[in-house]
Amino acid sequence: MTVSTPLQLFGALVDSAAWPALRIILHLAFFAAAVIILWRIWTRLAGAKARPGQTLQLFGTLPMALVAAAFLGVLIYQASWHLTGLFRPEFVGFMQSHDRREFNPAHRIQRGRILDRRGQVLAESQERDGRVYRVYPYGPAFAHTVGYSDPRFGAIGAEAAANAQLNGATPEVLASWGELGRQLLTKDKRPRGQDLQLTLDAELQLLALQRLGNRNGAVVLMRPADGALLVLANNPAFDPNRLSPALFSGPAAGTPLLNRATQGLYPPGSVFKVVLAAAAIESGFSGTLNCPASGYTTSSRYPPIRDHDYYTEAKAGRTWAGHGNLNLTTALVESSNVFFAQLGVRLGHDSFAGAGERFQFDRQVRLYPGTDRYGNLSTGRLPRFARNDLYGLAQAAIGQGRVLATPGHLATIAAAVANRGLAMRPRLLAQEPPAPLGQYMAEQTATRLAQMLRKVVTTGTGRGIDGPQLAIAGKTGTAQNPRGAAHSWFIGFAPAAAPTLAVAVLVEHGGYGSTAAAPIARDLLLKAMELENAR
Amino acid sequence: MNAAAWPTGLAASWDLRQGEREILLSCLGCIALGFVLVLGSEHAAGRQLTASAVLPLLFYGVGLVGLHLALVLLRFRGDQVLTAVVACLAGFGLLAQYRMGAFAGTLGADDPELYLIPAGFAALLFTAVAGANGRYRWLAKGLWLWAGVSLVLLVVLLVTGTRFRGAVYALGFTTPTEVLKVTVILGLAAYLEQHARALARWHPRFPLLPPLRALWPLLAFWGLLTGLLALQRDLGMIVILSVTLLVVLVRATGRVGYLGYGLLAAAGSGALLLTFFAHGQRRVEAWLDPFQDPTGDGWQILQGLSGMYAGGLWGEGFGNGSPEYTPIARSDFIYAVIGEELGFLGCVLVALFFLILVQRGIMIAGQARTDFGRLLAAGLTTVLAVQTLLNLGGVTKAIPLTGITLPFISHGGASLLTTFTAVGLLLAISDGPPGAARRPTRTVKRAPAADATPPTPAPAPRPADRPARPRRRPAEAKTP
Repeated sequence: MTVSTPLQLFGALVDSAAWPALRIILHLAFFAAAVIILWRIWTRLAGAKARPGQTLQLFGTLPMALVAAAFLGVLIYQASWHLTGLFRPEFVGFMQSHDRREFNPAHRIQRGRILDRRGQVLAESQERDGRVYRVYPYGPAFAHTVGYSDPRFGAIGAEAAANAQLNGATPEVLASWGELGRQLLTKDKRPRGQDLQLTLDAELQLLALQRLGNRNGAVVLMRPADGALLVLANNPAFDPNRLSPALFSGPAAGTPLLNRATQGLYPPGSVFKVVLAAAAIESGFSGTLNCPASGYTTSSRYPPIRDHDYYTEAKAGRTWAGHGNLNLTTALVESSNVFFAQLGVRLGHDSFAGAGERFQFDRQVRLYPGTDRYGNLSTGRLPRFARNDLYGLAQAAIGQGRVLATPGHLATIAAAVANRGLAMRPRLLAQEPPAPLGQYMAEQTATRLAQMLRKVVTTGTGRGIDGPQLAIAGKTGTAQNPRGAAHSWFIGFAPAAAPTLAVAVLVEHGGYGSTAAAPIARDLLLKAMELENAR
Repeated sequence: MNAAAWPTGLAASWDLRQGEREILLSCLGCIALGFVLVLGSEHAAGRQLTASAVLPLLFYGVGLVGLHLALVLLRFRGDQVLTAVVACLAGFGLLAQYRMGAFAGTLGADDPELYLIPAGFAALLFTAVAGANGRYRWLAKGLWLWAGVSLVLLVVLLVTGTRFRGAVYALGFTTPTEVLKVTVILGLAAYLEQHARALARWHPRFPLLPPLRALWPLLAFWGLLTGLLALQRDLGMIVILSVTLLVVLVRATGRVGYLGYGLLAAAGSGALLLTFFAHGQRRVEAWLDPFQDPTGDGWQILQGLSGMYAGGLWGEGFGNGSPEYTPIARSDFIYAVIGEELGFLGCVLVALFFLILVQRGIMIAGQARTDFGRLLAAGLTTVLAVQTLLNLGGVTKAIPLTGITLPFISHGGASLLTTFTAVGLLLAISDGPPGAARRPTRTVKRAPAADATPPTPAPAPRPADRPARPRRRPAEAKTP
């Protein structure tokens, strides 16, 4: 390249390696020149001040003070976006999803990592080709709880709930303010966020998913004493590393976006008998009810509600004699539909509605801070029956009909029984202090109910999972549903004497609760106890 | 014009304006530095630089030097800081517009954009010199002309203009309404000079009752004006002119009560706007919570703020930002571009220059020797201050967007020329009294005014044109 004219010389200079440094020097020189102009004007104004009669003309007049205050106010407000925009989480979110300026620091924020309770990385930011990407090492395993943060699709789950902290916008100590100042002065384009620790346990979560296999379902494991969720597993799920518009367009097959554990509304079947048993104890019920093989109905117009044993015996070509007289414990142990249907009708509408109220049905419980509806735990739906609708009440009493509940809420109920009747709010963020959700039942009720549930596993429908290693208490469920085979349920806690873990397992269309859900719960509880003891 | 006729005068004038010269020279250096950086980024972006790329700087420099020399030659005595500040702001505007691609493509000497700033300087020079030596007071005679021109312009524009993005534009996307910022203020100052005494005489028994007989022509005119502007949906102009009306009215009469009625009227019309105009409602909503509809109503303001946030404290550097992502960045949102490329520091500098501009205006208004000059200077300064604050506040989300330009820096010929003319008037007022004794520090002998300025032959001022002396103070006006 021949350099002949000043312009070509300039072009060569810009192309040379020295230009980036020179550019910054000239940039600062421009500021310096502007400051010099201002300084010269200032000295002139200050000089003019000396003249008699003009002492008040400089900045002393009221209008000037007003205008200067207005300018100052605008500049200060501007600085709250311009310099410390990081403290406006919505603004950072907007820039991350809608700003195409590559040099915008919002794109380079090294968001904090999301860790499980033992420090396993569930989400982290990695830089590739000058851009920061969010990476989820476990893929779909934590998709619903960790969520995702994506420039195109926004953020959900913990990524959304703790957005400010992950972006580093919650400076609680002086050091982080100092860090912000450093980033501003040096134009550092890589602000670092703060890590977020969840209460989840990656190993247990993976075990739960592995035991679910390719069956749809949800597993919830929590600590009754403080509400910490150790497992919140869903199948199917989506891969937050590979989001695509197809995922969000219309009802996809298997609805992978649905957080079944917290939002999936299922008929609870026999596990709902735990609620009714608690209500019966509290109402002072004692004695027995006759449970014939012919079943029970409130009117001859409706088909009788029968026990499972009737159908299994009939299927095998035998006739079943019926349970005869059952008390509450034996009814729960045998999971007698005939007993609980009668019990429900006997307790009546008001008592049933009162139990629903006490167990906090028809509520949204927040799992994270913030108001993200996706992050809420829906407790379930308990219908109100007409005064004369006794058959509906009988059906609801055995967890069928129009009663619906989420796995997460049934785990909370199991945890409440284990925690002397006090339900703790399920929580996912390790930094959040435990908080009570409600006293679901009296302490004595919980103690009696716990003993009954232990019997279910030792001698009743759950005896398949009883073993010498761990004393599990719980209730199986087999929920009829219009879409196919029955849903398989198990809720429970362990160790029965001094519970530290509560569980709820749902296997969609898994058949009997004792065959599909209960073994998963057992394996999970065994592994969790092993980990607890190893700590 | 024979320089030899007053040799001492020229030398003294050259010495007198030394301060202005110094500031203008540093200003030229500063803008040249910025220009080199813009050119560098253009070249780095792969655009072919030709010799004509330097033309905008050349035109700016020649204009600056010409302005200064003409002021010295014509022995102009007016404010020197004001010219320097205006030159700096115009320079920033030139850099910003060049950076936004104002002179893109094959640049020839016939590009009209090139002549915009020199034309502004010429308008400033013409107004300043023509009105100097107290001749600006002739403008007070055209009271009905200013009022008539303002209203007729609005009507003609409404009938012939085309609507775009809600506002009304004339042929070639020009905005002739900008002229109102001068004509309306001229008419206002002229009317108030005549009627200040009557307007200050509020009812003796009902102290809350303003003198309606003196007020009604003003109110009628204002009703027509704001009505026509509202039809054009030019909310920004209504705010600018109305605030100026109040400031000048209070300044002329010393009656703060007008401010009270003004605030009431503002609250009333604000409520009216929110109730009946979906347009205004949406703007207020987009202001209060832009995240409600971030990709719709909140898009522009949020993109501007994103750019500023990306700029940080020091800025990305000239030509290194991406202001093309902000809609209407060249005119309304030029301040966001400055924030992006020059950072918060650049914004503070620009704000300081505007602050000095306002300070000079307030000072000129305070020192003017005639009531008309005082009111005119106060009015023009208020227009500049309110326009600047509305733009800065709107872009930074401090107040709702009103869609008005930033003086000197935003793109737009009509706005630029009007602002230069307004500053020219301020300069003319600052020039001092006709035939009065020179300030004691000066030894310059004055030539007859008619020689100095051919455009407006100014006869020796008749005594009737002189304002009553001692100066009529508002406080005195109340108790005749």
